[in-house]
Amino acid sequence: MSLRRSFDIACVCLAAMLAAGCATKPVDPELQAAYEEANDPLEPMNRYFFEVNYALDELLLKPAAGWYYTALPNPVQDGIRNFLRNLRSPVILANDLFQGEMDRAGDTIGRFAINSTIGLLGLFDVAAELGMPFHDEDFGQTLAVASVGEGPYLVIPLLGPSNPRDLTGRIVDFLIDPLDYLVQDDAFSYGRGATEGIDTRARNLKTLDEIRASSIDYYATMRSLYRQRRNAEIRNGQSDSDAFPGVTFEEDFDFEAN
Amino acid sequence: MLSRRDLLVIPLAFATLGIGAVRAGQSGTDAKSFIENLGAEAVEALTGPDLPQDERERRFSAMLNRYFDLPGIGKFVLGRYWRSASEAERQDFLRLFEDFIVKSYAARFAEYSGEQFRVLGVRNEGDYATVQSLVIRPGAEDVRVDWRLRDADGLKIIDIMVEGVSMVITQRADFASVIQSRGGVAGLLDMLRQKTSS
Repeated sequence: MSLRRSFDIACVCLAAMLAAGCATKPVDPELQAAYEEANDPLEPMNRYFFEVNYALDELLLKPAAGWYYTALPNPVQDGIRNFLRNLRSPVILANDLFQGEMDRAGDTIGRFAINSTIGLLGLFDVAAELGMPFHDEDFGQTLAVASVGEGPYLVIPLLGPSNPRDLTGRIVDFLIDPLDYLVQDDAFSYGRGATEGIDTRARNLKTLDEIRASSIDYYATMRSLYRQRRNAEIRNGQSDSDAFPGVTFEEDFDFEAN
Repeated sequence: MLSRRDLLVIPLAFATLGIGAVRAGQSGTDAKSFIENLGAEAVEALTGPDLPQDERERRFSAMLNRYFDLPGIGKFVLGRYWRSASEAERQDFLRLFEDFIVKSYAARFAEYSGEQFRVLGVRNEGDYATVQSLVIRPGAEDVRVDWRLRDADGLKIIDIMVEGVSMVITQRADFASVIQSRGGVAGLLDMLRQKTSS
């Protein structure tokens, strides 16, 4: 397996901590509350890496994804994604089990068995048609289910929005993935990572352009989106009845009534 | 599977067209038909590449006011800064916020390519209701969209949740950051003026 990848991640984290220009905590109580809500003490550094990632995206990832999206017919793109998702099965299964989600673990096993055989090595998602739709899991979510807090917001070079919990999750997922041990080929690991990146980006070409166009502070918008999206994933798509408890809702909507 | 959905969605959406104003919420069926009306009306009035942009924006703005609790959303989005804002700033903000939404979203209906949505269910909690729906996009993955409604003198939408992401919370985070970096609500109003005048 490629130890280099995890070493790179570790170096980046260390450098990030050392280079960190911290935001100063405001004195004004309103601003202070906003500062705490953003939970982003490393904001200046994060914004810097956000810009770097944005530039890299414009230069490399977005054009590659654009090519992928226009040059390859839809069924081919779906085949590639199905194949990549099938490769993720061991990691998803491990995290299903860590979280005690036995039904979902069963789905993951069933999906892997069916799609690897009838689905021609995972190119076709036959299992979804049989009532076992794809679901993702990762160790960041497992930590969240075990009540580990997310920690401050982080933007990781190349990888994008994260936090200490999700970054740890990424490293653990990488270390427990048996495929890298089985294949023992750096080219496979990098190729897989790159294809996953391009495929995901290709599916979000329009969405990200729209989000950027309809926001004033793209960075702050992405920070909010990342957190909310992760929380939804942690809840496994169950709607969050606590997201809007009636009380805070009323407070926020009817200030004058208070 | 897809074709069965289409068969279901299209008559459902269009059958509710022309039913007229939805009365104040008596039950979940009202919230459901409210959202179905919105979907049908949006497709009917806002889509099509031949519609001039200013007319599209005018219609979008009218629908926005009819279906959404814009003042409520505006207050929520300004969050803690609503309290400290002056009355003039509040009025300015609500007007600019509406323009901002119209400018940001109306044009997207020009690119409409046959998306349909299917209502999955309705959950009622007192004065609030959540209409769960699935947006079915040709050649792309379905998107889960939940509509949060509040019944205060009639049903109005107060939030849209896309795959678990709240649009009003996202917007509030965006504006809060602008207010912080630009030294107050006046800075946000300047930015909104710039964004909406172009």
